[in-house]
Amino acid sequence: MLEAVSAMASVMGDPYLLGLITITTILGIIIGVLPGLGATTGAALLLPFTLTMDPVHAIAVLATLYVSATFAGSITAILINTPGTSAAAATTFDGFPLAQRGEAGRALGVAVVASTIGGIFSILVLCIAAPMLAKVAYEFRPPEYFALTIFGLSMLASVGAGGAVKNLIGGIFGVWLATIGAERVTSIERFMFGNYELYEGLSFVPVMIGLFAISELLVQSKHAHRVADMVTLKAVKLPTREDYKRIWKTIARSSGIGTFIGILPAEGATVASMIGYSEARRWSKNREEFGKGSVEGIAGAEAANNAATGGAMVPTMVLGIPGSGTTAIILVGLMVHGLRPGPYLFTEQIESVYQIFGSMLVANVIFLVMGLYAAKLFARISLIPTAILWPIVFALSVIGAYALSASLLDVWIALIFGVVGFFARRHGFSVAPIAVGLILGHMVEVNLQNSLKMFDGAWWMILTQPLALLFLVLAFLGLFGSQIVKLITRKGRAS
Amino acid sequence: MRPLIVPGILSVFSVVVIYLALQLKLSPPMIVGHSMQPRSFPIFLMVINLILIGILAWECKRNPPKPIELEGITTWISISVFAAFYFLTTYADFFIAIAVSMFVLSTSWGEKRRHVAVLISVTVPLTLFLLFDEVLKIRFPRGLITNWYYG
Repeated sequence: MLEAVSAMASVMGDPYLLGLITITTILGIIIGVLPGLGATTGAALLLPFTLTMDPVHAIAVLATLYVSATFAGSITAILINTPGTSAAAATTFDGFPLAQRGEAGRALGVAVVASTIGGIFSILVLCIAAPMLAKVAYEFRPPEYFALTIFGLSMLASVGAGGAVKNLIGGIFGVWLATIGAERVTSIERFMFGNYELYEGLSFVPVMIGLFAISELLVQSKHAHRVADMVTLKAVKLPTREDYKRIWKTIARSSGIGTFIGILPAEGATVASMIGYSEARRWSKNREEFGKGSVEGIAGAEAANNAATGGAMVPTMVLGIPGSGTTAIILVGLMVHGLRPGPYLFTEQIESVYQIFGSMLVANVIFLVMGLYAAKLFARISLIPTAILWPIVFALSVIGAYALSASLLDVWIALIFGVVGFFARRHGFSVAPIAVGLILGHMVEVNLQNSLKMFDGAWWMILTQPLALLFLVLAFLGLFGSQIVKLITRKGRAS
Repeated sequence: MRPLIVPGILSVFSVVVIYLALQLKLSPPMIVGHSMQPRSFPIFLMVINLILIGILAWECKRNPPKPIELEGITTWISISVFAAFYFLTTYADFFIAIAVSMFVLSTSWGEKRRHVAVLISVTVPLTLFLLFDEVLKIRFPRGLITNWYYG
């Protein structure tokens, strides 16, 4: 424990890292307030810039961007009724009505305080839960890992905007993408069409840039001439004592909910904020105020979405299973920088892990200060014309895609996946399951192969492993639980 | 019929993948052992996909999705810019391609001040080039400008 505290405190003694965290927090807030960009696109664009950094600094930068951009979505949600990130969608329900009543400062004050508390709470949980989970995960063998990845894939049913079936189709498409290249055991080339640059498989970075940044560019092209109205904001006030009395229970509850939801593989800040908001409403004595400018509503959504950031880092770092689109990119960052995600990270690189956690903690404190003193300035950035912003995103995307392996093929891959992602989104498919599927695809196949070898080809032996069986049952319940309950209820009524 | 277009395209894709997978070489049993042939996993995935596509088609038939409006001209111009970017990079220069693409994107998205569009299209790629080349030490592909710069 002392080791953890000292590693986390060492962040304060590293001026270079502190500088990086501060700059990235500002950048994260800018990215978060720009409608359409958000934490995932921002992380995809920032990843190539971290290539020459020390691994800890690189991951700290990505993690900092994650927490600050997630918070910043609330600024535009409150001031212009446009959530900067999907995780801030629930904040608009009460944030904008409160701003329209001339209390934008109060709304932002509640949002920033709730976000900070939620974020810090989840990082503390991360510090305690991650090493404990790592000890359990240390015992995992291929059957357990195979079942765990199946569980992660089954959770894709509820990630993103598409319906369950569409998300699963997207996830399977992602897993198939992971089979492109030479097969690991036999070196037989699969779906390469003679292109030897694909021998090692599709690079994650250009696919992520394409799916998140370039497809978003095409989505935004439909709103190219949109002009947003901004509610005037005089100053951001801290919540009053009266406000604190009303929201402290909501913040505590939503922090717990957000952290728990974040920990679930493939669940993220958006789901957390919606549940945080609805639970805040359910437990409130002033339910009639919800939707008309309730501070409890803002606190419920904001504490939950920022708490989910810390929670989502647990499966990402401990199990190598991303908890959201952004953590999928952080996971790619870990791999690119040679840090092996999984329980071994907690034995081989424990100091680095705690430095990353420490950086996230510092980022929460910095965005508290920024949110209170510079929200007005950041809100103005959201008014940058799209005709200027998105061409810059295009330049960042193509150069970023090229930079990882100095290959033009990666640029074409990013552009192709941008178009594929755009058409997928137009037809109601979310791109996050494709990204998560691509990352998990390799794990699924390798662990299935190793399990088959372990049991001499008897696949059903996987079901005899208690933990593997547990994960598979959870996956089954996650996919069919609600249908089974419906069926039982219908039969009960009929009888 | 229209609601079934997407499931139809996805089914064709899955069948093509299965066909391509069946063309893959078989590995000798002494290498594969009790594990899977390299073709088995993609085929397994696509079979699951076809089942899911069947469910999707059934859902689409029961509750037909709302018709989707055709993309606006800005979207089509943006996609065309990607194609033009490919040819400009291949036959001219990566950075000329970026600058031209940025300019076309900016003006087609409604930027009326030509000088602003030109300024952005020149300064952003230039800044990124210097950052990646000087700081991150990444060499860019040869072209008209990079040939002149690298010598």
